[in-house]
Amino acid sequence: MDGFLIGLWVVRLLFLGLLYLFLFQIVRALVRDLRAATQSATAELGRLHVLASPSGDPPVGVAFSLDAITSLGRDVNNSIVIDDAFASTEHAVLTFRGRDWYVEDLDSTNGTYVNGNRVEGVAALGYGDELQIGQVRLRLERARR
Amino acid sequence: MTASARSRPAPALPRILGQIRPRPRWLELRLLVLVAIVLVVGSASLGATVRGRPDAGADLFDPSVWLPLDVTALAIYLGALFAAHAAQVLAGRRTDQVLLPAVGMLGGISLLLMQRLPQDLVGSGFFGAEGLGQVQLVWLLLSVAVATTVGIVVRSDSWLRQYKYTWAAAGIALLLLTFVFGSDVGGQRLTLVIGPFSGQPSELLKVILVIFLAGYLSENRALLVEQDTRLGPIRLPPIPYLVPMAAMWAIALGIVVVQRDLGAALLFFGVFLLLLYAATARISLVIGGLIAFFLGSAVLATLFEHIGTRIAIWLDPFADPLGAGYQVVQSLHAFARGGLLGMGLGNGLPMIGGRVTIPEVHTDFPLAALGEELGLIGVLGVLGIYLVIIERGLRIGAAAADDFRSLLATGLALVVGIQAFIIAAGNLKVLPLTGVTLPFISYGGSSLLVNGLVIGLLLALSDKGVEPPPPPRKRRLDRILRRGAP
Repeated sequence: MDGFLIGLWVVRLLFLGLLYLFLFQIVRALVRDLRAATQSATAELGRLHVLASPSGDPPVGVAFSLDAITSLGRDVNNSIVIDDAFASTEHAVLTFRGRDWYVEDLDSTNGTYVNGNRVEGVAALGYGDELQIGQVRLRLERARR
Repeated sequence: MTASARSRPAPALPRILGQIRPRPRWLELRLLVLVAIVLVVGSASLGATVRGRPDAGADLFDPSVWLPLDVTALAIYLGALFAAHAAQVLAGRRTDQVLLPAVGMLGGISLLLMQRLPQDLVGSGFFGAEGLGQVQLVWLLLSVAVATTVGIVVRSDSWLRQYKYTWAAAGIALLLLTFVFGSDVGGQRLTLVIGPFSGQPSELLKVILVIFLAGYLSENRALLVEQDTRLGPIRLPPIPYLVPMAAMWAIALGIVVVQRDLGAALLFFGVFLLLLYAATARISLVIGGLIAFFLGSAVLATLFEHIGTRIAIWLDPFADPLGAGYQVVQSLHAFARGGLLGMGLGNGLPMIGGRVTIPEVHTDFPLAALGEELGLIGVLGVLGIYLVIIERGLRIGAAAADDFRSLLATGLALVVGIQAFIIAAGNLKVLPLTGVTLPFISYGGSSLLVNGLVIGLLLALSDKGVEPPPPPRKRRLDRILRRGAP
């Protein structure tokens, strides 16, 4: 085998190696992009869609975007104000921990319900579940990306 | 924390051309430099193989041996890629930076392959271009130009969104035109010849299909998901919404029958089902659609001879290795000769005794040629680039502002990906062989231009927030139904 053929062999392998270097560079850029996307996605963790609200405040059809901690109640200092005669001033807290949602009842007079079941203390909540506070019904939905 | 449900973003301010600031695209530039290096090395290996062959004792240290095979063609192609990069930098849009290098790499590999295949596979040249390599170079340049222009110029999607039924009508008209006036090439009625121009409408049709489906599904998504018609234990969407799906199924099978094009039918129906799944997340629809398609195809395969032949070849090409199964057998041999690392660019066997070993190698079997010359490693690398393009499309779709853009980007990426998968599987005898092209690598003007258009649209869609999507329109079908209901 002469030098030329060996050289040719090396160049061919170099071509394939460089092709994979190119792919590697792209994949690294893609992974970086995905990582950035997961980190910047903290803007909105979930949405709370108002399904029924006899008093009209909050209005039906509105969707609130949720932070990690959301307080609900009749008091104006709550993050979501529920102006309903059957809601307590500080009624419940919705929290996002890890990958799951939890609702905690703050000893409200008329109770907090998840899919019709009264919450004792803290209850887990999934996307699509219905939360009832006073006469207001709200549905937890996935964050819009 | 505010109620953000129906709040509409303020309309975008009109842009004055002078205000556009150049925006550097370092990632794209870095990747393009890498593309250039890869292609120069590949071209050098091709050139050395071709020049070194007649006299085995070529000198290792003679620089003229290591020149690329066609220096001007390579320089023009790389120049076009960097020009496209410069144009996007000057335009200053924040579009995707990975798509152009990925497509540029595929196009460059295509250029090397076409330069290396027998040049007389293509009959007539144009624009002073002669032979396979040069004609392909012209199409590649036009394709890059289309992608860049669309990626820079398109800032609004309302022309796609609002006229989806018009687009669908145009697509069906195109299809019918091919049915009636198309000319048969190799048993398939795919080519439409109008005066001096000839093209394959099914290439353009796939883009129109994606636009229509994205528009239709984004408008009717909620209804498709929420309402049910119960048929015993099976949950189906409301009957009126099933009609378009049945129509799609009929059109796909119609393409099989009239155009004898199993590949396009598979591509259209596959994209349709995947978009349906992306929009509704109902796997039952996809499974039902697949079963309907395969049942329909099975019936057609028994009724029509040409489809049956294709399937027979697929099941056992070695039954008639010199006749019907010749292409597939030669393709398998080519992959086998390539082995792990391949025989090197320019070292395959495109001709035996003045005859091309794989007929239609430049359009239908470029992957087999690559498999022979670059081996398993090279083929996997090329398929990896397709995966990158799909990933970019899905990411653009996931980050899009609304359903229409999301589905459009997803569909455009999938249409390229599924097409590459179908023809790669056909070359490898995993699926019956069909006449679709390998995107960005196969020879052919329609294919390259349309895929350039796809990349251009993806680039335009990847720019966030130039113009907010319009507020959701009242669903037309819903309105009609409500009016009709008591």
